[in-house]
Amino acid sequence: MQASDFTPIIGDCCAEVLDAMYFASVIETRQSFGPRPDAELDRIAFNLHFQGDVHGWFGVHLSPATARTLASNFLGEDEDALTVEEVEEVVGELTNMLCGSVASRVEGRSKFVLSHPEPVSSSPPPNQDALISDIETDLGLIRTWVALDPETTQPSDGASRVNS
Amino acid sequence: MAFNILIVDDSPAMRRVVRRVVDLSGFQVGKYLEAGDGVQALSVLRSEWVDLIVTDINMPEMDGEQLLIAVRQDAMLSAIPVLVVSTDQSASRIEDMMAHGANGYVSKPFMPAALSEQMYKLLGGAPDAGF
Repeated sequence: MQASDFTPIIGDCCAEVLDAMYFASVIETRQSFGPRPDAELDRIAFNLHFQGDVHGWFGVHLSPATARTLASNFLGEDEDALTVEEVEEVVGELTNMLCGSVASRVEGRSKFVLSHPEPVSSSPPPNQDALISDIETDLGLIRTWVALDPETTQPSDGASRVNS
Repeated sequence: MAFNILIVDDSPAMRRVVRRVVDLSGFQVGKYLEAGDGVQALSVLRSEWVDLIVTDINMPEMDGEQLLIAVRQDAMLSAIPVLVVSTDQSASRIEDMMAHGANGYVSKPFMPAALSEQMYKLLGGAPDAGF
């Protein structure tokens, strides 16, 4: 399996999670492959490690303003009443829920384990190629990325893949 | 009748959401009790009367599966209904949790009505949701 196998899944999972629990609608999904995106200073960024038959890293980046609106919708509280910590907790839970939704579809019948979502700056994963999905919603842009651990990735011809 | 509900999740945000759904569902709640993992949950269960446990699976220290097994093996706690709320939608996980004695399973993401409906099944009464 490769990160590209996640391409059709990410958009559907984001739409499902954002609609059901954050009351956000996906307008457009743009996807590309490249190095794992670095956390920018003006973004809230969380990631976690997932482990099942397939294992790797999953991350979410978004602006503080979008995060605050999502947190408000998720918790049913006024935006102004939320602390930075509360907003970050919600982004952590969004990361957990999005990855869980994706992993459930990838793993099918197999169980998987997700690590606790952490701010990217505190636990940088190995820098490797990732599937980057920019999810444009009515509440703002949400960037997700997924990168498989090297031992998980295999091209379709079954030969080992070498990550540069 | 007012119910004491124990919400077990390592995410404080998710615990708040579950509490909000319960509030909007029209349940009379005596006391909300919260725990961040299975170890904390067992500590609460040994000191407080609990009518329903709502638990996540993926948690540090002691996960939801270990908590469920511990509850079912404890004669004082084994009759408490356990509702699992988890991002893990895999068939084998759901089958395992039900085999260990879970009374219901709600996959995240969920619509508030889905969680409320499961709670009414376990606690009785008619849904009176405000959402």
